[in-house]
Amino acid sequence: MSDVLEAGSNWLQQQRKQHASRNVIYRRSSKFVEVLATVGRTQFEQDDGTGAIIRTEVRDYLIDTDDLLLGGNKAIPGRGDRIEEVDGDQRFIYEVVPIGSEPHWRYSDPYRKTYRIHTKHIDTEAI
Amino acid sequence: MSVITNIADSIVAELNAASLSHPLTAVRKFVPSFTLTEMKDLHVTVVPKAIQVTKADRTRNTFDAQIDIAIQKKFETGDLAEIDPLLDLVEEVADFFRLRRLDSYPAAHWMKTEHSPIYSQEHWDEMRQFTSVLTLTFRVVR
Repeated sequence: MSDVLEAGSNWLQQQRKQHASRNVIYRRSSKFVEVLATVGRTQFEQDDGTGAIIRTEVRDYLIDTDDLLLGGNKAIPGRGDRIEEVDGDQRFIYEVVPIGSEPHWRYSDPYRKTYRIHTKHIDTEAI
Repeated sequence: MSVITNIADSIVAELNAASLSHPLTAVRKFVPSFTLTEMKDLHVTVVPKAIQVTKADRTRNTFDAQIDIAIQKKFETGDLAEIDPLLDLVEEVADFFRLRRLDSYPAAHWMKTEHSPIYSQEHWDEMRQFTSVLTLTFRVVR
């Protein structure tokens, strides 16, 4: 018997990918892949745990698990991996990190089709 | 100028004139506040933290001024080859001031250095950044 909820969720993920995503580069050292990603939550965070305040933009990316291929193999997101997003003449670089009590990624749906990857903005380059 | 800012400024001047393993530019701030995108470069920040005044003798007081020195840099991999030199630098800075009387404010002499924790686990985990804070105590009697 088919799972109607799973079929519906998969359809929604397809729609998200087709209509609400952009091309980004997912990079781990010298390996990289161009994937379609949906920009999720974006907010600013301030950390003053040690008395030294660090402000940063926090951004989530939603990426299909089947698309995240590094060196031809399926990969799970790793701490320190980078996501590069080009906007006009600038390249925005985000680094994969945990956020608060959450690990650096989790599945975005109950059927493990999409990663929700937490990142922080670490650099902007002119291109 | 207050005792604690005099001490902090002297620490900045002496750090910037020192010959250490990493070239650095120390600055004094009341609130060290940066964006993560700035942290790929080494930041050394001197922050006046606290002062305790106690009786020295019948006519003078002892001013124990605590000064934080924050050494911060965002790392690439966080492996030993990248982090060990940063921790070496922190120890060099600590050693530089140990037993020292400040050249540009000779009334102040070193009393104590605290270095705990040796790095911020929170910054390491959530920002992949090395943050180490030394707390120096300098004493002035006046």
